[in-house]
Amino acid sequence: MEDELYLENIDEFVTDQNRIVTYKWLSFTLGVHVNQAKQMLYDYVERKRKENSGAQLHVTYLVAGNLIQNGHICHKVAVVREDKLEAMKSKLATIASVHVYSIQKAMLKDSGPLYNTDYDIVKTNLQNCSKFSAIQCAAAVPRTSAEVSQVQTSAQADSQTPNDTHAVNVPTINGHVSSTAKQPSPQPKGIMGMFATKSASKSQDTNKETKPESKETTIATTVSSKVSPKGSAMSNFFGKAAMNKLKVSSECEQPKEEKTVAKPSVSVTEPKSPPSAAVEKPGKKMEPVKIQQKDKRSRAKRMATSDNEEKEDENLKKKRRRIKRPQSDSSEDEDVSVSPTPQEAKPPLPSPEPALKIELEPATTEASTGGKKRKRKRVLKSKTFVDSEGCMVTEKVYESESCTDSEEEFIKSKLPAAHNQSTAAVRKEPKEDRKGLKKGTATASKANKQVSIMGFFQKK
Amino acid sequence: MFSEQAARTAQGLLAPPSAEASTFARVPISTYTNCSQHFRLGERSFNRQYAHIYATRLIQMRPLLLERARQKWGSGIAVRKLCELQTAEKCCIVGTLFKSMQLQPSILREISEEHNLLPQPSRTKYIHQSDELILEDELQRIKLEGAVDIQKLVTGTILALYGSEREDGRFVVEDHCFADLPRQLPRRGPSTDRFVLLVSGLGLGGGSGESFLGMQLLVDVVTGQLGAEGEQSCAAQISRVILAGNLLSQNTQNKDTINKAKYLTKKTQAASVEAVKMLDEILLQLSASVPVDVMPGEFDPTNYTLPQQPLHHCMFPLAGAYSTLQLVTNPYQADIDGVRFLGTSGQNVNDIFKYSSMEDYLEILEWTLHVGHLSPTAPDTLGCYPFYKTDPFIFTDCPHVYFCGNAPRFQSKELTGVDGQQVLLVTIPDFSATQTACLINLRNLTCQPISFSGFSADEDEGEMEISH
Repeated sequence: MEDELYLENIDEFVTDQNRIVTYKWLSFTLGVHVNQAKQMLYDYVERKRKENSGAQLHVTYLVAGNLIQNGHICHKVAVVREDKLEAMKSKLATIASVHVYSIQKAMLKDSGPLYNTDYDIVKTNLQNCSKFSAIQCAAAVPRTSAEVSQVQTSAQADSQTPNDTHAVNVPTINGHVSSTAKQPSPQPKGIMGMFATKSASKSQDTNKETKPESKETTIATTVSSKVSPKGSAMSNFFGKAAMNKLKVSSECEQPKEEKTVAKPSVSVTEPKSPPSAAVEKPGKKMEPVKIQQKDKRSRAKRMATSDNEEKEDENLKKKRRRIKRPQSDSSEDEDVSVSPTPQEAKPPLPSPEPALKIELEPATTEASTGGKKRKRKRVLKSKTFVDSEGCMVTEKVYESESCTDSEEEFIKSKLPAAHNQSTAAVRKEPKEDRKGLKKGTATASKANKQVSIMGFFQKK
Repeated sequence: MFSEQAARTAQGLLAPPSAEASTFARVPISTYTNCSQHFRLGERSFNRQYAHIYATRLIQMRPLLLERARQKWGSGIAVRKLCELQTAEKCCIVGTLFKSMQLQPSILREISEEHNLLPQPSRTKYIHQSDELILEDELQRIKLEGAVDIQKLVTGTILALYGSEREDGRFVVEDHCFADLPRQLPRRGPSTDRFVLLVSGLGLGGGSGESFLGMQLLVDVVTGQLGAEGEQSCAAQISRVILAGNLLSQNTQNKDTINKAKYLTKKTQAASVEAVKMLDEILLQLSASVPVDVMPGEFDPTNYTLPQQPLHHCMFPLAGAYSTLQLVTNPYQADIDGVRFLGTSGQNVNDIFKYSSMEDYLEILEWTLHVGHLSPTAPDTLGCYPFYKTDPFIFTDCPHVYFCGNAPRFQSKELTGVDGQQVLLVTIPDFSATQTACLINLRNLTCQPISFSGFSADEDEGEMEISH
């Protein structure tokens, strides 16, 4: 008997649980339309009073209507106790609505508890607070996180346009700098802190990159086209050797970016990774002091490790690193697992970056988004030369900062089993750099990271 | 008016549950354009002095004033610059007013050691009998006397004066005129009833829980949870909600942490954090049902100088997911369903109130419209960004609805301009004190207050007093 069920429920809530049952609370609890909840409450009151006139039941009503006050018609909405209901109704010139607001066992002194009940039930149902409401708005559709980040990026870009019309005599570089700084604001601030003195061209490139990156459509072509202008822009700041290195790494980032694009869930990292990829190298140059210190440390470490390592050690370390890596970043794990298989098919060792490129291209779905998250901090340039296989090998002059760098290299160098140690060690560097830099950069950036305003609101 | 047709089914919900519960669709947004781009600031530089804003204000408004002056006093009047003035010649001069007030708080006086002054106590009004008016133009300034209401006028007003210079160097004013209302674009309002709800001064984080139920009732009425079916169908015609400032209470502004020792304040959080979380929840409930525009106010976490920039979207992680939530500037201008809205969160009117003899917020609001400038006292006594190319506070078109938030009480008036402009002036009361909001009907540009109340133990009638 469905009809009786709600009566029993209300009875239980009011008498047994001694709750204050407001129409909203009932509507969410029973999952019914608010108007039905109001009617249910009314029905319950009527029946209860009919069968037992001495029932301990206190009712509050909502009265709304027009009130003549100071010469104008004021629309009044009031919650009143039952005993004041008629008084209120008589005050109103026209009554627009009357319905039961709440039922409770004890008499309420003031309306505070009513608010608390409603607040609690709304808080637990925040995501669908208007589900049982009588008004549905077609325009109120929550955006997906991808759209949100897109809007945020475009909002930041738009905020730059009034700049020109304003009485602010800012050189265009300033405007661009701020736009760079603003656009990746959803991204880790530590990275952006390094680009305080970036030039306009670089920021333009990053602008170009961040904007398309936030789209989910396959942007492989656009990304690839952007990689080349980025490379040329970067070349202004670095020598040819570094240029080559940048090209290589940007090429390998391109497939990375492709992968990222393909992966639908990483919308947040999408805007993160391209600017990270783009800016990390110049960023390294900009802040050599900080990085060099770390690099020196890690360089010393890596020298030591590379000197001592043997195949088994490598394997061990790789294995160790492998175990470590899933803990740090699950997406890196995918990278790890993906990398050995295609590479084993090719006995001659491609260089780490081209290797990454090759392995990434077939594996469309697996993206080492974790790898892209971690910014690489390469301060010095690296030389690129063509391998015997026709693949480009990148050698770094020195290594990157943290020990996690060696992880990447080790894993990659596992595949090229045939190579001699020195080249393997050297080739490890870029890989280590890439992956290790992620960790190094992550920790470094965390250390230097400016506390963002998001820190207050992250609990949510 | 709102919910008059609801009266028929008023008692409809005092009945056993019906099988079908009707749901109403919110009126769709027919046209909306945000016209506040000129209030958005991009890159900000404070290297400039404020003299430029006065210069550009005068340059922009001089032609308007000359036109009005010729209309009023005849096209043959002599228009002179201050440097061209000759004694006893009747002419018209245009310039910026400066009122020198002895009670005006001056930081230099406060810290001056010669005077050994104690800091001035804050007052509601800083006017004094000995105030003087001076007119300045590009090159010179001259003291004013005569038929000019010194107490009423404030610094920064651009006006045209008709009179003559006396031997002692003062200008005797016979008449004055303002730029008056600019031209108005025709109103293409909707043909059916559509409402815009204006609320201001929610005052969250204020510590007193009295206004919470009122706020909840407001949200429930707008989102269609409260009321009988007739009222809900009327509420579905509310096409927009504008929150005009002071979403946070003044109590969240206390800077105890600066004065207290660090070990006492280590774990304390700013009061505004909790208040903003509460605001986010309220905005979520609202934006899930109706488009909302949020304007910042005096106590909200955004910049202090006018024009205040929109609150940052990161503060609203829940509500920000909805595209119906719009964070806008203060002042705010928009075309809603063919009706031009313009309004502020009340800082401009409040500042004029302090430095003028005008007592009524509605009167001040009307006066700013006649003067042709949103806040003439900026940057003198009200913080303002140092513009130099244009002054964005000068009225370019006449709005159809002109409002200011955080007024002590609700008032509204229909103003007819000289050229036939029709403006609805509305002062939105502070919700945390009055529990009153305003509903504007876009079809016929009428305004109705809507007030909410709960009940409490100490009142005989069982309802809170609404000051009106």
